[in-house]
Amino acid sequence: MNRRQILKRGAGAAATAALVSELAPPSASAAAVTINLTIEPVDVEMIDGTIVYMLMYYGGPLGPNTPRPRLTITEGDTITIRVRNNAPEVHGFAITGIPTSRINAIAPGAQASCTFTAPIGGSYMYVDPVNEPVFRVVGLHGPLVVQPRNGTTPAGVATPYSRTSQTQQVRQIFNQLGASARFPGARWNSGRPERDIVWLFNQVDPRLNARVAAGETINGPMLKYDFVPRYFTINGLSGFDIHHENSIIPRGYVGQPTLIRVMNAGLAYHSPHIHGNHVIELTHANPDGSVRILENCYEIDVWQMPSMQRTDVLLPFEKPPDIVVWPPVEEPFPLRYVMHCHNELSQTAGGGNYPQGLVAHWELLGPYTPPNA
Amino acid sequence: MADIDWTETGVRGRVTYDTFGCNVFDGSPPTPDRVNPNVLIKREVHTGHRMTMPDGRRVDFWSFRDPISTVAREREEPFPSPVIRVREGQIVHTHLKVRTNDHTIHHHGQEPTTMNDGVGHVSFEVKSEYTYQWKPTQAGTFFYHCHKNTVLHFELGMYGLLIVDPPSGPGRLFRNGPTYDTEAFWVADDVDPRWHDMEHDAGMCGEDVGLNIFEPKYFLISGAPAPTTLTDPRAMVRTTYGKRILIRLLNASYSVLRVTLPLNANCVSWDGRPLGRSGSPWSAPYDFQAGSSFELGTAQRCDLIIEPPPRGTYRAKLEFLHWITGEVQDNGRGVAETQIIVT
Repeated sequence: MNRRQILKRGAGAAATAALVSELAPPSASAAAVTINLTIEPVDVEMIDGTIVYMLMYYGGPLGPNTPRPRLTITEGDTITIRVRNNAPEVHGFAITGIPTSRINAIAPGAQASCTFTAPIGGSYMYVDPVNEPVFRVVGLHGPLVVQPRNGTTPAGVATPYSRTSQTQQVRQIFNQLGASARFPGARWNSGRPERDIVWLFNQVDPRLNARVAAGETINGPMLKYDFVPRYFTINGLSGFDIHHENSIIPRGYVGQPTLIRVMNAGLAYHSPHIHGNHVIELTHANPDGSVRILENCYEIDVWQMPSMQRTDVLLPFEKPPDIVVWPPVEEPFPLRYVMHCHNELSQTAGGGNYPQGLVAHWELLGPYTPPNA
Repeated sequence: MADIDWTETGVRGRVTYDTFGCNVFDGSPPTPDRVNPNVLIKREVHTGHRMTMPDGRRVDFWSFRDPISTVAREREEPFPSPVIRVREGQIVHTHLKVRTNDHTIHHHGQEPTTMNDGVGHVSFEVKSEYTYQWKPTQAGTFFYHCHKNTVLHFELGMYGLLIVDPPSGPGRLFRNGPTYDTEAFWVADDVDPRWHDMEHDAGMCGEDVGLNIFEPKYFLISGAPAPTTLTDPRAMVRTTYGKRILIRLLNASYSVLRVTLPLNANCVSWDGRPLGRSGSPWSAPYDFQAGSSFELGTAQRCDLIIEPPPRGTYRAKLEFLHWITGEVQDNGRGVAETQIIVT
C-alpha cells in the first residue's frame, strides 16, 4: 500500500496547517456548496519519533493535501460532501448532530456522497461512523464549523451562534465584550481567524493502529476495555510540536477575546485546565449531537471533556486578575500561560516524556490593544 | 534578573525540544516586581513520608511542609500538604525552598504573571528557592501543587488546598455570598502504589516508565484512605442542629469523580468563581437533589452549601471512575464514603 507520510517532529509540518480557519462573511442567501474529501492511510511520526499508522480524511478548502481539514460551512446552505475511500477497508462519513450528513459505507476505491442543509451555527465534528469508535480513534475525524446566517445579538453584536438559538446569557457575554469595564478592548471579531481556534483532542494507542493496519477486525463497543493510549494530541500534535504552532496557540492583547472550539474525538475523559484566565463556557453537545447553547455559563479554569464532547469556551484575554504590579515592569510581555489536561496521564508520550502530551499555551502580548492590532 | 533572557520564553534563551521537557530551565531568580507582602507562606519539599494503608502496605508520599506552622504534623510530614489560607486583596508571597532536585508551586486558579505561575517549560523550575508573588482578587476554593513532572509529583502528594476568604474572613464564602457555620474539605485522591516507588524525574528524558497507565488501589478523602473515610475526622463532617454547612470539594485524583450527596445542596461556585457573581449575570447557582449524582473532572472544584439539616447521620459517596471505561476503578472497589452527622 502506498501510504502518505507525515513527519512532524519539531517541524511544524503540513498536518498542522489543516485547522487554520477560513472565514468569509456568510452571503445573504443560501448557496449550494460541494466539499471533496478522501480517506487515506498515513504513517505519522509521534513526538518521540515513533511511527504510527493512521487513517485520515484529506481535502477541504486548502486543497487535497490537507489532512483532517477544518471545514467551514454556513447555516442554511445546501452542502454536498463527496468522499473517496483510498483505504483498504470500508469506511463512511458522518457529522455528529446532523443526521442527514451520513454516508454509511464506502467500499475501498469507491466514492459516495451525502447532501444536507447546514444547521444552526456552532461547532461540530465529522467522523467515520463505521464500527465506532475504532476508525474514528485511528484518525478518521475532523472539525466542522457552521457559521450562523445571522449571528448577531439583537443589539447587533457578532457571536458564533444563530440569532434564533442564542440564549440570553450568551448574548449578555458577547454584548459586554469591548463595551464594559470588565472587558475593555474589542468585541469578538468573527472575521479574524486568530480569534476563532479549534482544539481537537485525540489519543493514540499504537497497538490498536497496528491491528487496524494488519487488517484485523476490532470489536468496536469493547474497544474501551483494551485501549491504552500512549500519545495525547491537539489537532494531531503534542508537546513541543504545539509550542510554536500558530493555529493552536492563541495570541492577543488584553481585550482581544478568542473563541476556542474544544472537541474530543478520543475515548479518554479529558479535564483541560487553563492558566492565566478563567474561560467562560458557551456550548455543549446534546446527547443527539446537536449544539446546545448554554443557559448557565460558568467561569471555570477546568472543563469536562468526555469522549465526543464538544465545548466552545471564550478565552476573554482579560488582565490576569491576580498580578500584583500591573502592567509588569521587570517581567516583559508576552506572558505565557499553559493549557493542559489535568488528568496528567495525558501529559506523557510513550509512557514518560512529561510534558510532551496534551499541552498548549496562550500568549498575552500586552496590557491593551494597540490601534493597529 | 541578569541571568534571564526574555526574548523567547522565561529564562536563558530559546525553548528547544530538550528544554521543553527533559532539561527544563532551572534557577533561583529574584521575584520580578517584588513588593512587600501582607502574608508570607513558607513551603519546603518533603519526600520521605511513609503511610501505612488499610491493607498494611506502606506507601511513600511527598508533600510540601510548612516550617513555621504551629501544627506539628504540618511542620513534619503532612499529606496532603497544609492548606494555604489567605484573604482576598492580600499581597501574598509563597516562599518555596528546595533541597534536592527541582520543583515548583503552581497556585491553581490563581492568575499571576508567568514567572509566578510555576510552570517550568514556560518559565523555570526552582533549584533552591523562589518567592512566588500573587494577589488573589476573588474569594473561593483553589489548590496548589508542584508543576515539575506533574504527572508524578501531583500523584505523590505535592498538593494542598488553597482557600481565599473574603476580606471579612472565614464564615462567608465570598463577598455578598452565603455564610456558613461548619466548613468541610472533601479532597478526593486515588493512589497507584506502583507510582510511589518512582524517582522524581522518572520518564522525563525518554524512558517508558508507564506513566500513561494508572491503576489505583487506594481511594482517599483529604488524606484518609477508604474505608477509614467513614469516620476519619479529616473527611467526616460533625455539626449540630441548626448549622449551615459548606463543603469545599476538589477532585485531586486521576479519575472522574462521581459524587452522590445524601442531602440537598446548593452549588454556589465552580473553580473559585461564584455563580452569578456581580457583573456576571450569565451564571446562576443551582441545586443538587439528595441522592442525585454529579461529576467532577480532575482538578475541578465546587462549593456546596447545605442548609441546616435535621438531626441524623447522612452518608455521602464518592466514586472514582476510570477515565476511559467510565467504570468504578479497581473492579468496583474505587469508592470512598463519608458521613455528615448532625446532633
